[in-house]
Amino acid sequence: MRYLKLLEESFPMLVKGLGGTVQVTVISLLIATLLGLFCCLLQISGKKPLQWISQIYIDVMRGVPVMVLSFFIYFGVPNGLGIRLTAVQAGVITLSLNAGAYLSEIFRGGIQAVNVGQMEAARSLGLPYGRAMRKVILPQAVRIVIPSMVNQFIITLKDTSILYAIGLPELMQSGSLIVARTFRSFEVWATVAVIYFIIIFILSKISKRIERRLHNGKGKG
Amino acid sequence: MAKVRVKGLRKDFGSLEVLRGIDLEVREGEVVCMIGPSGSGKSTFLRCLNFLETPTGGEVEVDGYLLTDGKTDLNKIRENIGMVFQQFNLFPHLTVTGNITMAPLDRKKLDKPAAEKKARELLERVGLADKADAYPAQLSGGQQQRVAIARALAMDPDIMLFDEPTSALDPEMVGEVLAVMRQLADAGMTMVVVTHEMGFAREVADRVIFMDGGVIVEQGTPEEIFGHPREQRTIDFLNKVL
Repeated sequence: MRYLKLLEESFPMLVKGLGGTVQVTVISLLIATLLGLFCCLLQISGKKPLQWISQIYIDVMRGVPVMVLSFFIYFGVPNGLGIRLTAVQAGVITLSLNAGAYLSEIFRGGIQAVNVGQMEAARSLGLPYGRAMRKVILPQAVRIVIPSMVNQFIITLKDTSILYAIGLPELMQSGSLIVARTFRSFEVWATVAVIYFIIIFILSKISKRIERRLHNGKGKG
Repeated sequence: MAKVRVKGLRKDFGSLEVLRGIDLEVREGEVVCMIGPSGSGKSTFLRCLNFLETPTGGEVEVDGYLLTDGKTDLNKIRENIGMVFQQFNLFPHLTVTGNITMAPLDRKKLDKPAAEKKARELLERVGLADKADAYPAQLSGGQQQRVAIARALAMDPDIMLFDEPTSALDPEMVGEVLAVMRQLADAGMTMVVVTHEMGFAREVADRVIFMDGGVIVEQGTPEEIFGHPREQRTIDFLNKVL
């Protein structure tokens, strides 16, 4: 009963926090997907300088922890360049850069997993490279890529909690504010954990359903 | 008139010389079968004809267009050169009809009903009218290869290239694919066929070409090559495969 009362009191705050988490995640993933696609195109362009640029970006993002990157962007960049960033802006930039690098590798892997014969067949019919990519390679790559892509989405969603450290208004911050006021850390953190779990569980289920639908009646040729 | 004219064609892969100077002309309506041991360069030669491989040297001319001058629109030329692959390479995410109509819809700007009508006619021709809505994975190898032939024909090519079209098939399915090819040859299609099916080469080819070590060793009518081969390498090869 005491728990229900606690839940009732902290409910608006948790919802607000969750809203922040979802908002930052969705915006970051949209940007990251575009960034990842762009970077992946550079990777498969066959042009050495372009490949180097994207490879350096990927290696740097892989090698720097999200929290360090967020501190650099939120505290370091404004200090060095004299621009001001809000915590949300810095958080979105951090997660977009980070997830973009991983998504780029996921996309590249998916495209390269499509048999070379598919490209040859499309080109032999007279399709230019770009059309062959769009009509033949990408539709197949998407199917291959979806499970890893959803996995990255989930990682990014969880990484928003790290951005608590730069003061991003999200679920983790709501949790700690509620604890500071009520001193009920056992119940509060358990509740926060359950909320994360439910959101991610739903996301996994949706992805399974999409996967199944894409594979319906089709196999490899 | 020569549909295909090849002069001094060379192709290296790094230090590996695969084609070492090939000269060949294919006349309109002619069926040319290329035979020879694995690694002799037959498939590479075929793939140079539609520039899936870029030759290292020499000239390739198709329909009067010089492909090797770097100025010709390869995509346009490829619309006129159908190709059938050993591994079929059907598009697994599209139905049989989708496979056949994709290129005509995209390149020839046919409208959908016209493209689908054409697909039905072609499927009729290769004996698969009932498979229009199937996906490639639901078909046998022989059926897939016949769809692949229909897909290539949908662009109304005037040359067809076949790269070992029956080599990946179970023996009982070879006949159905060869029958479609024979019918195509009878209809006057210009064909270059890389094959290990000596029976097909003997019966259908106007000319048989024996390749070994990246060069054409001997060529002639089926009767000349299979009946009275002159070169020792041809004789050795035929002894092994016949």
